[in-house]
Amino acid sequence: MIRRGSPRTYRAAMLDVFQIAKTYPAPRGPLTILSGVSFTLHLGDAAAIMGPSGAGKSTLLYILGGLEQPTSGTVALDGRNPYALSEKELAAFRNQAIGFIFQDHCLLPQCSVLENVLVPTLVSTTEPRASASGYIARARDLLAQVGLSDRLDHRPAELSGGEKQRVALARALIRKPLLLLCDEPTGNLDQASADVVASLLLELHRQQETILIVVTHSAELAARFPLRYELRDANLHPAGA
Amino acid sequence: MRTSTLLARNLAWYWRTNLAVLLGVATAAGVLGGALLVGDSVRASLRDLVLARLGNTDYVVARNGFFRENLAASFNKTGREACPTIAIEGMVAHQASGRRAYAVQIYGVDQRFGPAPQGRQILLSAALADELGAKPGDTLLVRVEKPSAIPLESLHGRKEDVGKTIRLTLGSAAPREFSLNPQQGDVRAAYVPLARLQKELGEIGKVNTILLGPTADPARLLAAHYTLEDLGIKTRTLPNAIAVETDTTLIPDALAERATATAKSLGLSTQPVLTYLANSIRANGREIPYSVVTALAAPPAPADPASITLNQWAAHDLNAKPGDPVSLDYYVWQSDGSLHTETAQFRLVQIVPIAGAAADRNYAPEYPGITESNSLRDWDPPFPLDLHRIRPADEQYWKQYRTTPKAFIALARGQQLWGTRFGKLTSIRISPPSPAFAGALRAALDPAQMGLTVTPVKARSLAASQGATDFGEYFVYFSFFLMVSALLLTGLFFKLGIEQRLREIGVLRALGFSISRIRAMFLLEGAALAVAGSLLGLAGALAYGAIIVFGLRTWWIDAVGTRMISLHPSIVSLATGALAGIVTGLGTIAFALRKLEPVTPRGLLAGEQKRHSVKRPLIVGTIAALLALILLASALLRALDQTAAFFGAGTLLLIAAISLQSAVLNRRSSASIGGLTTLALRSAAYRPGRSILCIAQIACATFLIVSVDAFRQTGDSAGTGGYPLMAESVLPLIHDPNTPAGRDALNIPPLPGVRFIPFRLRPGDDTSCLNLYRPRNPRILAPPAAFLRSAHFAFQDSVPHTPNPWLLLDEPLPGGAIPAIADASSMTYVLHLTLGQDFVLNGARFRIVAALHDSLFQSELLISEKNFLRLFPDVEGYRFFLLDVPPQKAQQVTGTLEDALSDYGFDIQSTAARLAGFHKVENTYLSTFRSLGALGLVLGTVGLAAILLRNALERRRELALLRAVGYRPSHLAAMVLAENLLLLLLGLATGTVCALLAIAPAVSLRGGQLPVASLALLLAAVLATGIGASLAATRAALRSPLLAALRSE
Repeated sequence: MIRRGSPRTYRAAMLDVFQIAKTYPAPRGPLTILSGVSFTLHLGDAAAIMGPSGAGKSTLLYILGGLEQPTSGTVALDGRNPYALSEKELAAFRNQAIGFIFQDHCLLPQCSVLENVLVPTLVSTTEPRASASGYIARARDLLAQVGLSDRLDHRPAELSGGEKQRVALARALIRKPLLLLCDEPTGNLDQASADVVASLLLELHRQQETILIVVTHSAELAARFPLRYELRDANLHPAGA
Repeated sequence: MRTSTLLARNLAWYWRTNLAVLLGVATAAGVLGGALLVGDSVRASLRDLVLARLGNTDYVVARNGFFRENLAASFNKTGREACPTIAIEGMVAHQASGRRAYAVQIYGVDQRFGPAPQGRQILLSAALADELGAKPGDTLLVRVEKPSAIPLESLHGRKEDVGKTIRLTLGSAAPREFSLNPQQGDVRAAYVPLARLQKELGEIGKVNTILLGPTADPARLLAAHYTLEDLGIKTRTLPNAIAVETDTTLIPDALAERATATAKSLGLSTQPVLTYLANSIRANGREIPYSVVTALAAPPAPADPASITLNQWAAHDLNAKPGDPVSLDYYVWQSDGSLHTETAQFRLVQIVPIAGAAADRNYAPEYPGITESNSLRDWDPPFPLDLHRIRPADEQYWKQYRTTPKAFIALARGQQLWGTRFGKLTSIRISPPSPAFAGALRAALDPAQMGLTVTPVKARSLAASQGATDFGEYFVYFSFFLMVSALLLTGLFFKLGIEQRLREIGVLRALGFSISRIRAMFLLEGAALAVAGSLLGLAGALAYGAIIVFGLRTWWIDAVGTRMISLHPSIVSLATGALAGIVTGLGTIAFALRKLEPVTPRGLLAGEQKRHSVKRPLIVGTIAALLALILLASALLRALDQTAAFFGAGTLLLIAAISLQSAVLNRRSSASIGGLTTLALRSAAYRPGRSILCIAQIACATFLIVSVDAFRQTGDSAGTGGYPLMAESVLPLIHDPNTPAGRDALNIPPLPGVRFIPFRLRPGDDTSCLNLYRPRNPRILAPPAAFLRSAHFAFQDSVPHTPNPWLLLDEPLPGGAIPAIADASSMTYVLHLTLGQDFVLNGARFRIVAALHDSLFQSELLISEKNFLRLFPDVEGYRFFLLDVPPQKAQQVTGTLEDALSDYGFDIQSTAARLAGFHKVENTYLSTFRSLGALGLVLGTVGLAAILLRNALERRRELALLRAVGYRPSHLAAMVLAENLLLLLLGLATGTVCALLAIAPAVSLRGGQLPVASLALLLAAVLATGIGASLAATRAALRSPLLAALRSE
């Protein structure tokens, strides 16, 4: 287990995915979305997963993020299988170890930019309450890094699509997660905004030393990742294979 | 950032939905609190009324007879002046117009009472003055029963002209609105100068009532200061004894027992005496007219009951010797108001000289019109006297010996022949005469047992003001569905809010919020809304309560019979309503939250909702249906109280129907869509939870409206027993109007085909729904034995079951309880008794043995005449009558009798009108409660409109797509309307069918008749309202630019 705050000089923490399968019941028989998906990633790795629409990319992402139970197979992040945890432990695991960025940002419209970034800290069980000010400082720092330090009190409705996605990025990193999962993070953005978000994403991933997995159908975005995979025929293949 | 910050943001951001939830809770809390306030207000108003009318009167000293006015002075030592009064019932007539008012309380008062009339003045309460149309200066005739110490229904009671009419002039002063009896109706009282009334009634210096203010231990004060005279007891000092007598001329058994015990305790001996007047003493073909005969348990009376002793004068006049048969002819008063002559046979055993005990003329008590006469011919007895029979020898005897008995018989025989319910002795001789005896007797007597009572009238009235009907409970009961509707609306809008925030919930789950944490957050939001809603509901409760109370004073005044009801807010009721609002609101919200868990975070992010199971609602529905059937069967078999079973079965049937519909809607249909209709049906099943909520609200409101309306009385009840008319008199009728002699005595012309059924009446508290106060001293009627055998009127039940429950009144009960019959409605809802239950009244135990069904006897209890005379010997004559009259003659007979018997205050009413009066109250309650159903309907319609609009707005893209592929706006409108109509009709049908099924037992009891027309009208109104809401929502949804929705996110 990597202690937080210490330099990550070795690549012990990893995401180990083994023989993941997912099928859904359907009126005409079970529908197999994933079958035998296996791979391993380490801290600092950034991978893009591509594939045609309906291939199961988002399904795989949600399985990795503990949001949807696989039909079979195992997932282990830093040696912990989220699906072996109780519901409360799983929630704490997601809060502490995983950051999510969704295609449509999923910001809470009733909260300000700063408050949206701080939402995950409300259920933190690993940090004492006294670090509330610490979280605020970190949130401000993250927002400054994504270029929104002058928009802290603004509501999501007052932001552009790209700005909302930048807030979502800051929110995903507030708890210093091990794993950062992004589902089409630039899918709803124009080219310029998409470039900005993509650059910020990769930069912050590098700074925070997370495992970054991005699901995208954008070849331009995928090209910026050192690791590229393609999901087809219910399985994950290295891109170009 | 704190959780509280997020909560505050959520509450503010989703203010529209939250406002709807808050208003739903506010409505539920307001309705409950308001219903409780109605009960508080009615009770408090009744209390205020009774306190205002009693004024300073806390206790009342009273007797069924008169006592010294000076007794009042004994209570003046407490610092407050006691007020001696005469309080009697009478009638008042306005001489100029001829208008009459019956059953008026007449008070003889002076300045100690308050504003009092002077001289020949009379003052009237405002309502009575209005009723008579009387103005100051008008002449009024007051008629009351003339007091008679000697019982009217005894030989020496004066029966001709039992009333006294007093002519007075209406004064201008406004008198106190005074009443000793708790009643919500207007005070109908007349105030007459005390001295004038005493003089007119021949009771100078006497009263029958003393009004006392707050007094410590008034019973002790009374016991210390009353005299034997106050109880109508006289002691006459004789040469060798003291004679204890009463002003009624008869010694009650209780007094006889007490006097004997007192004498014994003082070492004195007693001699009981019964003296009677024989019309004739006959022997050997001769007779002596109008002779005093005395029955003793000692000489000169014989010991043998079959023997007789004559004095020498009588023996000589009859030429009788020992061994000769001797007959006594004497009058006996019959209950039909006639005098019968009966004869008793004896054998002469002894002839005694008129000396010693045989010469004692004091065996006879004082009989007005007889004992003070100087000659037989001067006698003025209240029975027929044939003066032709009186011989000079008889006059000579009277002149010399007066009331000295001519004959003596054994006491036991005398009591057998001449004993009455008023007593079996005319005096008790105490010897030797002891000055200590009177005081000892006074100390030994209980004035209450002798009829001189102290009643804590204020305490009793305040207890009565708790009410016979708990309006609060009734309004809570019938507001139940209104509250359910409000809570359904609360749950509906909260559910809509959750659905609106499903993605947000998914995000929170993704960010690490556990389901329990999310649920807790929503619960906190819900709690804040519930508390705020309940606080707002306090204002709603006051408003709701105020509207209901205003309604009771105006539109629904027939339910309470008074305008004196006002709102009395109570902290307890308001707090209860608020607390209940918080609890039920929070419960509803918690129930709505239970659906969150089973959907995965991914599903939430996709806006997915849990697909409800089909199995659970099926199980719930089946169980509920079975339980409902069991309850219905129990109601039919009378194993359970019908009202409780009805509501239980109806509620269970509703639950069953809604559960089963939920199972159907949640079932994933595999049938293909064949047209617009099936598309609409599929749409209704898309959000089954909303659809079910909608159906439930409409069903609840319809259930209430249909079920309540079915109990409306249509006025064709058989509760009149076949008698078209009934009557009450202010003065008792002693004579039987069914006999020629009786009609002659009452001055009634012959009435062919008319039969009177006279009932004895002991006045008391009305036990019907017309009386809001709790009856503590019910009115009691006693029908004649012949009526019991005639088996008129329908019974709901009896214990034991018998073809003619009337006969149970004469059956002795184990333990000595007195059998009584009551109307079922009065028994259940006013007296709060059940069949077979005992209750105590005036120290006597009664038992309800039968319950009449919707009869005209709702204001009283009925017992047998035999038991009535035993319990209330002082109540004389008949004051209640059923009249068997050919219907076509009813009006003519009414006019004839009311005119002929106007001196008795004979007031006739049609029995149908009497029943209609009771039904009017019941129907007004139903109208009130139906209004609540209408409110529930309004809420249901609001819910329906909200669902429709929400559904349409959520499906804007879907509707836009249909437009894009060629559907016209009319197609879309038809589709949306079809879905809405489906929900509406399901709700209506569910509510109606469940209500009809559940009330079938009650309807069959009422003859199987349903007010079909008014029900159909109601349901049509519900349907129209629902269709109107549907159209409005459809129009609103389709008005927005649907095609633009295709492009929107």
